[in-house]
Amino acid sequence: MKAPWLIGRRALLATAAAGPVHAAAPVRFGLTPVFLDSDLALLRDLGRHLEAALGSPVQLVKRRTYQEIVAMLLAGQLDAAWICGFPYVRHADRLSLLAVPLHRGRPLYQSYLIADASLDVSSIDDLRGHSHAFSDPDSNSGFLVTRWLLSARHERPEGFFNRPFFAYGHRNVLRAVGAGLADSGSVDGYVWETVADREPAVTAGTRVVAHSEWHGFPPICCLSESRDGPAARGLAAALLEMRESESGQRVLETLRLDGFVSAEPALYDSIARMAAEVGART
Amino acid sequence: MIRLDALDPRRWPLAVRVPLIVAVLVAGVALATGQAVLSRLARDQERHLSELASAFLDGLATAVQPAAARADIWEAFDALDRARARYGALRPMLFAVLLPDGTVLASAEPRSIPSGTRLAAALAAQADAAAAAGRPVLDADAATAVLARDLAEGDVPVGRIVAQADIGPLLAERRAVVRTLVLANGAFALVFAAAGVLLVRHLLAPADLVRRRLTEAARSGRPVPVDETVGIGPEHAALLAAWNQAAAASAEREAMAARLAKEERHAQVGRLAAAMAHEVNNPLGGLITAVDTLSDHGDDPEVRAEALGLLRRGLGDIRNVVRAGLATWRGAASTVALAAQDFDDLRLLVRHEVARRGLTLDWRNELSGEVAVDRTLARQVALNLLLNAATASPPHGTLRFRASELHGGGAVVEVTDAGPGLPPAVEALLHARDGPPPEDGGLGLWTAVRLVRSLGGRIVRLPSDTGTRLVAELPAAPAPMEAVHAL
Repeated sequence: MKAPWLIGRRALLATAAAGPVHAAAPVRFGLTPVFLDSDLALLRDLGRHLEAALGSPVQLVKRRTYQEIVAMLLAGQLDAAWICGFPYVRHADRLSLLAVPLHRGRPLYQSYLIADASLDVSSIDDLRGHSHAFSDPDSNSGFLVTRWLLSARHERPEGFFNRPFFAYGHRNVLRAVGAGLADSGSVDGYVWETVADREPAVTAGTRVVAHSEWHGFPPICCLSESRDGPAARGLAAALLEMRESESGQRVLETLRLDGFVSAEPALYDSIARMAAEVGART
Repeated sequence: MIRLDALDPRRWPLAVRVPLIVAVLVAGVALATGQAVLSRLARDQERHLSELASAFLDGLATAVQPAAARADIWEAFDALDRARARYGALRPMLFAVLLPDGTVLASAEPRSIPSGTRLAAALAAQADAAAAAGRPVLDADAATAVLARDLAEGDVPVGRIVAQADIGPLLAERRAVVRTLVLANGAFALVFAAAGVLLVRHLLAPADLVRRRLTEAARSGRPVPVDETVGIGPEHAALLAAWNQAAAASAEREAMAARLAKEERHAQVGRLAAAMAHEVNNPLGGLITAVDTLSDHGDDPEVRAEALGLLRRGLGDIRNVVRAGLATWRGAASTVALAAQDFDDLRLLVRHEVARRGLTLDWRNELSGEVAVDRTLARQVALNLLLNAATASPPHGTLRFRASELHGGGAVVEVTDAGPGLPPAVEALLHARDGPPPEDGGLGLWTAVRLVRSLGGRIVRLPSDTGTRLVAELPAAPAPMEAVHAL
């Protein structure tokens, strides 16, 4: 581990190389429910850490759906955003990867198919006719994986499930299934594990029915045209060095992440393949 | 056994009736005020519940209306789920958002009211009523209130919020108020009734005192004054003062009557003494003449017999006069107690009369010691009865005398003759309270009866096979033995 004084050095150097960030123009960082964005204390710590690392104000931007954040990112209204791998592969031609989280030492995660703990089900096939909660239509783990499984069975969610709906957040999916609003749900495995660790009552009423293949963890992206800009470079450096500062470690500990690393687009090939197969089958 | 008329409240004492009336009045007032309090409490609770429900529905409608318009299950559930934590005061048991077709879009309790189902018919009917009335519909039996608010975008209905709140605490509060009212009012009624008992007894104390004095006066014939300081207020003071005035007037009249009676008796004694002197003096001349005749011609049997007959008759007249005097007046009573010897003396006194009539005297004196009875009066009673019996008995008859102690103290004198029995007029003397002495016989019995009454006793005739059996009960005088005026 590096000495504390080294914290943000790369970020500062990156920022200095790209020129000073104007004090009146905060760095706009978009967030989606790929992580526990409902934890306001976490957001406060993340914002403070990024501001300290960047030496400039940071504006954390949240919206209800992935689509809104992705649209803002594509429109240049955000300097970077933590989005899902599914929208990334859809807009890979315009987006660049700044950093990818490490979870349990790998930049990978799974999609969990969960169900009401009282239901006697063991596979997706047992969930036919049950109500189902998806996280977001632009979520890999919260929609695409299940959608891909169903397409392989030549099924569509609205025909396979009884009244499927979107809860627009993995934690919301957990609440919906736990409360009995939905019999089953598609959720980010990392979120399920983290919530089970931090808020076991939320996941107590749910049970993991199936795990997906490993996919690339939701990345932090920016517009490719802004990749070399000071904000993007500063953010990338701050994230990559997050584990080297106490505040960053605190954030990572809360997120149950090991840190951030650089990654290649090929990390998301599995998602791109599923998206392509689903598109081909419909 | 309880008499039925004793159960009639009109016969109950004032000290009971007034406190009961006070208690009933307090209970009545408490009931009326309690009803008013409960009615007001119920109105306030319902108003409060209605206001709370209105605020709840306003807030919830704002949150869920977009979700209802989009039929967004999650958004509707999320709004309901968050509202449940924020409206704890309303104690919502369940609430749901319905779509215009009546199906459940989402409920806060999806396990009991799943999405896509319909509400129970009873709950749906209550929701219809609540939505139409614009206020909660209460179900006291179920301890619930049903709230409903229709959601619309302009004129287009987009759904309805239905909630069922637990009003158990409100009803429990009402029951607690009822319990408090009952306990408090019951306690007040008891306190006021107890205070009423004490107050009424205190107020009626002077009247009760006068009542007791009246009862005593009716029994003793002598009104006793009361302490006027126990009077409360001018009415009772006047009552007690009037009673005391009446008692004083009665005492004064009694004293005056006693004085007049004494004076009258003295006058009668004077007249009697004069009459006796006159009556005794009348035969004295003849008797002296007879004695002179005997002195001069006592040898002549015929003259002697005639003179002796004159003497006997004259002395008999004197004896009658003296007897009448004795019966009319007696001096101060003796304070000497009666002993067996006093009766035994009588045996000697009557021996001559008994012998003269050829009677047999059966004498049983069973007195063992002294008894607290006036010995003079007792001897006179016994002597009168003995002489009467001797007179009534035929020759060779048996005269029975028995003296014994009276149960409870005193003496009993029983005299039985062998005569034909008491004439009705003479027997009536036993029962006559007062009256003049009889003119045609019975003077001795009349005297004995009055003497016995003066001792507080009585003379009764008991059945007998041989003649007249009279029993005189002479109760003991309270110690120390009071002086008795016989007549």
